[in-house]
Amino acid sequence: MCSNGNPYRLIRTQVLEVTTETPTIKTFRLKPDEEIRFQAGQFIDLTVPGAGEAPFTPSSRASDTAEIAVSVMRVGKVTAQIHALKAGDIVGLRGPYGSAYPLDEFAGREVLVVGGGCGFAPLRSLMYSLFDMSGQFKRLFFRGGCRKPGELLYRDEMKSWGERDDLDLLLTVDEGDETWDGRVGLVTAILDDVPMNFTKGVAIVCGPPIMMKFATQKVLAMGFRPENIFLSMEKNMSCGIGKCGHCRLGVYYCCKDGPVFRYSQIRDFPGIWE
Amino acid sequence: MCRFITKHGLGALLRAAAGKYDVFVPAQREGRGVYTRLSSNGAAVETGPVRTVDPLKAFFVKPRECVAEGFSPVPPLTENRPLCVVGVKACDLKGFRIQDFVFAGEEFRDPFYCRARNESLIISSDCTSALDTCFCEAFDERPYPRGDFDLNLSPVDGGYVVEMGSEKGAALIASCPGAAAEAAQGQTEARDRQRDEVSAKVRRNLKEFQVPSQQALEESVERHYESTVWKEEAETCVECGACNTICPTCHCFLLYDQKDAARMVRFRAWDSCLMKGFARVAGGANPRRELSQRLRNRFEKKFSFFPKVAGEYACTGCGRCISACPGKIDIRRVMKRLSEHV
Repeated sequence: MCSNGNPYRLIRTQVLEVTTETPTIKTFRLKPDEEIRFQAGQFIDLTVPGAGEAPFTPSSRASDTAEIAVSVMRVGKVTAQIHALKAGDIVGLRGPYGSAYPLDEFAGREVLVVGGGCGFAPLRSLMYSLFDMSGQFKRLFFRGGCRKPGELLYRDEMKSWGERDDLDLLLTVDEGDETWDGRVGLVTAILDDVPMNFTKGVAIVCGPPIMMKFATQKVLAMGFRPENIFLSMEKNMSCGIGKCGHCRLGVYYCCKDGPVFRYSQIRDFPGIWE
Repeated sequence: MCRFITKHGLGALLRAAAGKYDVFVPAQREGRGVYTRLSSNGAAVETGPVRTVDPLKAFFVKPRECVAEGFSPVPPLTENRPLCVVGVKACDLKGFRIQDFVFAGEEFRDPFYCRARNESLIISSDCTSALDTCFCEAFDERPYPRGDFDLNLSPVDGGYVVEMGSEKGAALIASCPGAAAEAAQGQTEARDRQRDEVSAKVRRNLKEFQVPSQQALEESVERHYESTVWKEEAETCVECGACNTICPTCHCFLLYDQKDAARMVRFRAWDSCLMKGFARVAGGANPRRELSQRLRNRFEKKFSFFPKVAGEYACTGCGRCISACPGKIDIRRVMKRLSEHV
C-alpha cells in the first residue's frame, strides 16, 4: 500500500493567449511547465489560484504536447474567474483524467460526429485526431448545431473544414440571422442527411445534456448499435481520480471511467440525462 | 498461538509503543466511547465495550487536510508520528475495506491515506457488549475482529487474550519481554464464550428490529428505485450530513482552495451527498435536486454501487447513523423496506 507522487498536485501553467469566441465562450492557450499528454476525450482540471478548479476537455490537438487549449463557457463562479484571465497569468493544471475515444476502433469504419453548442470544444480535439488519421476511415461526417450563429464556436475554422475532401460537414442553427445562410433547425433534423451504413458505423455525440438525449435517441433510431455510440457525459467531476464521489453515474465515476462512455455501458442507469 | 496480557501489562506495552506512535485509546465520556490520546500518567487503559462515537476513518482521512501547496510535486504530508489506535472494533475494521478500496486501490493512490495506513498500528478488540443499534451480523460481520488488525485484544478475567495479526504486532509484543505469556486454554475458552454471547445479542437485535440479511438487499435499490420509500424516509431528513460524517465507509470529499491567490493551498474536506449542491454542475443543472433523490443516492452507494465495484456492502452495521440522525431515519428500517417486494 505504498504511493508515489501526489494526485492532487498542480502543474504551474502560463496563459499564452486568450481568444473571445462567442459572447460567453473564450479559448485559452496554455503552456504547462511540464508536458501534458492527453488523448482526445480526456479532460484536465484548471485552477485559478484562490478561486478554485473546474474540469475541461481540451479543444487542442492531442499531439501538440507543449501547449494545451481549452474553450470555456462562462457559467459559474470558477469560469467567471477563468474568463478574467489575461495572457501571462499563472494557473494550475492537473490531468489528463478519464477515458478517451477509442480511435483505433474507429479505423476502417464510417464515423459520424454530432456536436451541439459548447460540445464543439472537445470535438475539435477529436476532429484533429481524426484528421491526423485521415485515409483510415471509410467516411467521416460532422453534424453540428447551436442556438444562434453568434454562438457557433470556431466559425472560421468550420468554414475551412467544410472545404476538406475527407469530411462531410453540415451545420445548423436553431434560429438564423442575416449572417447565416446555412441550415436552420435542430441538429437532430440534419441527421437525416447522413449517407452511411448505420449498423456498422460509429456515432460520437457531445453537447449539452438535452441535445445529447435527443441526438442519442435519433442515432439509435437510425440504426447505430448502442456499443458504437460514444457519449461525452457531463457530471460534477471534481477530484478526477474516482475518489470524491460527486460524479457517480451508476456503477461508474464519470471522471475515471468516463467522461467518454459507450451508450451500451450506461443506458440501463436511471436519469443519465439529468 | 494466543497470548495473554494483564491489564497492567497492556498499559506498559502501550506506553512503550508511545515512544514511537501517537497512541489513541477509547475513553468513556457520559457513557459513550470516544478516542483520546493515551495519558502518560499511568491510568488504566480500557478497550471499550462497543464501538466509539467517532469513526476510525477520521484518523486516516482527516475531516479537513491540506492536499496540495503551490506547484510542488511533493505531497504536503504532516510531520505527525505514526498512529496507534487501540480498541478498534470489527465494524470499523470493515470500514477499512471500503476506505482502502477508494484511497489505496490500484489507480491514483492517495499519499496521505496510504502513509497513515502503512505506518499505523491497529490494536483492535472484541465487543464485550452490544448497543441496541448494533447490527453487524446482518452483513456477515461478527462483533469481534477476524482479521485486518496488528493485534487483537479479547478482554477476559484480569487481562486480555492477545492475537497477533501482523509482523508489526508480533514485533511490539516481542519488544516487551514478559508482557504477554501464552494464553491458557481456560482463557481462550472464556473469550470464545463471550464472543458467542455478544454475537447472540446482536442477532437478537436483528430479530427485534427485523433487519434483513445483506443477501436480501441484492438488487433491492434497483427494484425500489421509483418506490415511495425514498420520499417517505426523506420527510424528516434535515440535510445535516451527520449520517455521512459518522459513517465508517462514507468517503466523499470536497476540494477547495484557500482564498489567497498568492499562496495556492488546496484542502480536502469531508463532504455529504445529502447536501443540495453535491452533484450540481456549473451552470446550475442538478441531477439530484430532490432530497429524496439524494437520500436514495446514499443507499445506492452502500447497497448497490460498492457491492458491484468492490464486492462489499458499504455498511458495517455499526449503527452510528441511527444514533446520529436528528430525523430518526433508521437504516435498519430502510433495509427492511428495501428487502420487501415492490
